[in-house]
Amino acid sequence: MTRERHYIPESRQREKPKSKYFAIGHSMKRVEDTRLLTGSGTYADDVSLPNMAHAAVLRSPHAHARIVSIDKSKAEALPGVLCVMTGAEAAEVTGPCADFSSPPTTQHCIAVDKVRHVGETVAAVVAESRYIAEDACELIEVEYDPLPAVVDLEEAVTSTGDAVLHPERGDTNVAHHRVIDFGTVDEDFAQADLVIERRLRWPRSGGTPIETVGATAHYDRGTGKFTIHANTSMYNYVGWLIAVSLKVEPHRLNIVPTDAGGSFGSKLFCHKVCTLAGTLARAAGRPVKYLEDRIDNMTSGDAHGSDRVYDAKLALKRDGTMLSMRLKVIDDYGAYFQYGVGQHGNAMAQVTGPYKINSVQVDLTAVFTNKCQQGAYRGFGSEVGNFVIERLVDAACEELDIDPIEMRRQNLIEQDQFPYIMPTGNMYDSGNYQAVLDEALGMIDYDGWRQKQAEAREEGRYIGIGISTCQERSVFSATEFWMWNPNETPGFTLSSSPESVSVNIDPTGKAFITLNAPFWGNSPETMAVQVLAEKLEMDPSDISVGYADSDKGFNSSGPGGSRFTVMIAGAVSGAADVIKEKMLRVASHMLEADPSDLEFRNGSIGVQGVPGKEKTLAEVALHAHYFRLDLPEDHDLTSGIDAAYVYDHPVTTMPSEDRTDLGIFYPIVGHMCHIPVVEVDVETGKVDFLDYVAVHDCGTMVNPMTLAGHVRGGTVNGIGSALYEHFHYDENGQLQNALLSDYLHPTPMETPVDIRVGHVETPSPFTEYGIKGGGEGGRMGAPPAIAAAVEDALKPLGVKVDSLPLTPKVLRGMIREAEANGG
Amino acid sequence: MKPARFRYLRAASVNDALQALAENPDAQILAGGQSLIAMMNLRLVKPACLIDINRISNIGYIDEDGDGVAIGALARHNDVKHSPLIRERCPLLTEAYESIAHHTVRNRGTLGGNLCHADPSSETPAVMVATGATLMLQSLRGQREVGAEDFFLGTYETARRQDEMLTEIRLPGRRTDGWAFAEISNRHGDFAIAVIATTLRIEDGRCEAARVVASGVGEHAARLEPAEEALIGGPIDDARLDAAAAAAAGAVDPHSDSHADAAYRRDAIAALTRRTVRRAAARCD
Repeated sequence: MTRERHYIPESRQREKPKSKYFAIGHSMKRVEDTRLLTGSGTYADDVSLPNMAHAAVLRSPHAHARIVSIDKSKAEALPGVLCVMTGAEAAEVTGPCADFSSPPTTQHCIAVDKVRHVGETVAAVVAESRYIAEDACELIEVEYDPLPAVVDLEEAVTSTGDAVLHPERGDTNVAHHRVIDFGTVDEDFAQADLVIERRLRWPRSGGTPIETVGATAHYDRGTGKFTIHANTSMYNYVGWLIAVSLKVEPHRLNIVPTDAGGSFGSKLFCHKVCTLAGTLARAAGRPVKYLEDRIDNMTSGDAHGSDRVYDAKLALKRDGTMLSMRLKVIDDYGAYFQYGVGQHGNAMAQVTGPYKINSVQVDLTAVFTNKCQQGAYRGFGSEVGNFVIERLVDAACEELDIDPIEMRRQNLIEQDQFPYIMPTGNMYDSGNYQAVLDEALGMIDYDGWRQKQAEAREEGRYIGIGISTCQERSVFSATEFWMWNPNETPGFTLSSSPESVSVNIDPTGKAFITLNAPFWGNSPETMAVQVLAEKLEMDPSDISVGYADSDKGFNSSGPGGSRFTVMIAGAVSGAADVIKEKMLRVASHMLEADPSDLEFRNGSIGVQGVPGKEKTLAEVALHAHYFRLDLPEDHDLTSGIDAAYVYDHPVTTMPSEDRTDLGIFYPIVGHMCHIPVVEVDVETGKVDFLDYVAVHDCGTMVNPMTLAGHVRGGTVNGIGSALYEHFHYDENGQLQNALLSDYLHPTPMETPVDIRVGHVETPSPFTEYGIKGGGEGGRMGAPPAIAAAVEDALKPLGVKVDSLPLTPKVLRGMIREAEANGG
Repeated sequence: MKPARFRYLRAASVNDALQALAENPDAQILAGGQSLIAMMNLRLVKPACLIDINRISNIGYIDEDGDGVAIGALARHNDVKHSPLIRERCPLLTEAYESIAHHTVRNRGTLGGNLCHADPSSETPAVMVATGATLMLQSLRGQREVGAEDFFLGTYETARRQDEMLTEIRLPGRRTDGWAFAEISNRHGDFAIAVIATTLRIEDGRCEAARVVASGVGEHAARLEPAEEALIGGPIDDARLDAAAAAAAGAVDPHSDSHADAAYRRDAIAALTRRTVRRAAARCD
C-alpha cells in the first residue's frame, strides 16, 4: 500500500550484527541465579525498617455502592492499633492515584464516597502486627447503599443513572469510543469475494505473580521526605507522579526498588500501593509495610488483562488472498482507566498480523464495569489481536478449503518487503517469516502427525494439530499510550521512552553497571553484563550490577513491551563507547601511541599489529584512577573511568492528527510459529498435549538459553490463557476465584513434557547488534495455536472455538451440543 | 491473610487430647493442618482453640489388622501412599493417592485429618465408603466404631462428636474384589470435580457385588445404588456398562460452581463410572 506521508527515519544503529561475538549469543548462566536461587534476593516483603508497623485493608464486599457511614471506633480501640484511615480522611492529605486516561478518571488509594468493585479498599488499618491490623479490619463497621452492579460488557454500553461509575466523565459507562479506518477499507471490502465473520471472546485473566505488590514507606518529618521500598517499575520514568499524589515535590520522594517476585506486566507501576503505604506512614508517624494478600491482589491489584468481545471480519479473494479487516471491539476495562486504552494503541502495532493485508477498520469501545481495573499483562492487548486474526485465518481456510499452511505461505509478508509499513502506519523492521514456518514444520514433523491423527480417528481418538504464525512487536514507544485519545482531550502526548545505565570501571579494571529499572523476573543483569563484556572484551565475571533508586536514577522506562534487552543493549553500548574512548586516551599516553592505532583485545588495550605492546585493562584503570596527573597535558581528561548514557527509543515517528496513520511506534518486530499437537478426551473435555514446537525470531540472540526460557515460560502462560485462566465474576460482580486454588494456572503436570523451542535469527537494522525483544512472545502465540489445535481435533464433531479459556466444562458443553445435533 | 486469635494447646498423649477436647468445647484438633490452617488464614473458620496432636508418639502407624489394615490418626498421606501393606491389601487407596494433592501437602497432611475435614470433593471418603472401612472414635466417655457409610453426613460434617477424636481407620482386606479409582479435576492434584471409586466382585463371570461411590457431586461421598444394581446379576458387558453409567449420572444431583456446572459433573460421573467399572472388572481375581 502507499503511505505517502510516511517516512522511515535513518537507522541509529551503531553496532552492526556480527558473524562472531565475544559474549553475545552465548548461553551463559544467569548472573541473577546465585542470588535468587539461594534465597538471597530481597523482595518487597523482605524489607524491614526499624520501628516498622504493618497495614491491612478492609475490602469492599459490594461491587458498586455508596459508602453511607464508617464507624471505626471499635477498631481504633483494639490494643496494638496505631491508626485507622477512611477514604475521606486520606483524601484530606493525599490526592488521587496516578492516571493516564484522558479525560482523567479519579481513583483514590482508599475509596471516597463510593466503591466501584469488590475488593476495593474502604479503610486501612496500621497496627503493631499484620495480625492485629486484620483483626481491626473486622471491627470496622461500614454502612453501604448498594448501587446497580455493571458486570456484562455489552450491557455496560447502555448503562444509565446510578449504574454509571464515573458520572463526572459523562452520563455513560462508555469510557472511550472511536472508529478509525486505516487505509482503503471500503474499497478493499468491495473487491472481496468472501467475508469471514466471527464473534470472538477473549476472557479476563491477569498476571498473578508469586509475590504480590508491596511497599514499605517511611516519612521523615524532619526533611518532609518519603522513602518507599516497593516492587514497582517505571519509578525512574513516571515515579514522580506518586509524589504528586502524596502532595510533595518529586525530590521529596525516593523510590527504592526491591526484587519483584514475578510481574508478567502486573507490576508496571503499582502506584496505588505505594501511595497507600506513603499515606499511612505519614499518618501513623511510623514506617509502614503494606503487602497485598492474595485476595487483595486478585480483586484489587489493578492488573487484570484485556477482556474483549470482537465482531471481526476478514475480506478475501476466492484464491485466499487477504485484503482487509473490520474489527468491532468492546473492551471491559473494569472500574478505573489508569492507562486509558493504551492496550489498544499496543494492539495497533500488529493488528493485521504477519500478512499482506492492505487496510483495517477498528471500531473501539472501552467500557467501565464494576470489576478490578485493567493493567498490563504480557502482550498488553496485542496477544488478543493475534488470537483474533488467527481465528479468522483458520475460519477462512475452512470456508475456502485451503490448507492452513498454504494459506499462510500465500499471505505472509515476504523477505524483500522489509522494512514494511503496515496499515496503521507502524513499521515491521525486518523478518523472514517463511523461514520460521519452515523451521517449525520441520521440527514438528507435520506430515507425520497428520498421519497419526488419521489413524487415531479410526480408533475414536481426537487428535488435533494447530498452527499460529504471529507477530511479536517489541520495544514500545510512548505514543501507544495516547494515540487513541480524543482530539479534544489528547492528554499528555509524550514521545520519550528512554533507557539508561551508568558504568563505572574500578581501579582494578572491573566493571559495575547501575541499572535504573528493577529486577522483574527477567534477566536484566545478565543482558547488561553480556553486552558490556562484548563491548570491552571483558570476562563477564568481572562485571557486577546494581539498581539505582529514584534519587540517583535517571530517564528509564523500565521493562515492559519486550523492550528491556534492546534498550539496555543500547544504553550499555553507548556508555561503553564513552568508557572505551577514555580508556584509549589513557592507554595512548601509557603506550605513547595514537588512540586510533589502539584496540581492545581480550582484557587488554594494545597497539594494532604489535603483539605484546599492550596494557591490561587493570593497568589502564589503575592509572586512570590514581596517576592521571603523571600523564602529559590532556585538556579535559579527568581521573577515573565512568559513564552514564541515555538511550532513546531507536525509531519513533509521531501519529498524524486524524490518527489514520499512527506513525512508527512498535517497530522492532519479531515473529513466531507455534504448533501444538493435542488430544481431546471427548467424554471429559480434557485437553492433553502430545507435542509442542515454538519457533521464534527475536533477531540477534543475546543469550539463547534465557531466551528459550522466556519462550517456554510464555508458552506455559499462553496455555493458561487458552485452557485455564479466567477471572470469573458472577452477575453481582463477585469475583468467584480470588485464590490460586480457584484461579488456575497450568502446573508442570498440565504442560507439554518438552516445549521444543527453535530459533531463527533475523537481525534488526535499527537496534544495537540487531537484537529484538522476546519477553512476551510465548503468550502471544500459544492461545491461537491451541484454539486451532482443539478445533482441529474436534473437526469430526463440527465444534468451533470462538472463546477462551477452553476449560473441561466449556469444551464438554460444546461437544455435548454437537453430539445432540448428531455431530 | 492472618488467622483470628486462637489458643494453642499441645497434647502429649491421646488421653491428653481427649481431656483437652472435653474441656474446650470450642476446640479443633490440629493434625496436618493442610486444610484447617488455610481456612483459618482466610478467616473462613475461627476456632477459639487448637489442640495440636502432632507431638503424640506412636499414632502414625500403618499395621496389619487381621486380613485388613489399621491406620493411626497421624499417618501422613505420603506414608499411606507408599505403604506396601496398603498397596497389597487396599490397592484402591493406593490408586486414589495418584490424584490426591501434591507431594508437599501429602508430606504433612494426614488421612485421619482429611476424613474428619469431610470436604465434599475429597477423594479419601469415597475410598472409605467403597471399601467398607470402619472409623474408630474415642472420647473420655469411651470408644465407638462407625462405618464409613454412616460417618460422612454433609459438607464438612461427620458423625464425630465434638469431644471425640478419630484415633484409627480400619480397612478390610481385599479378598477377590476388583477395584478402580478415577477422578476429574481441572489440574492434577486439585480438588476433584468428580470422583468415582468402584469395587466389584465377579464370580463365574457374574457380577455378585458392586460398590460405585461418588465424590465431588454431592454433600458427601455416597454410593450410587442404581448404578450398583445395574451391574449386579450378570456379566460386565457393554450393555451393563452403559446402564450403570446412565444410572450413576441419574443418581447424582450435583451443584454448579465456577469450575464445573451440574451437567458437566453428570457427564463426568457417567464417564468415570464406565472407566472404573471396566478397569475394576479386569482386576477381579
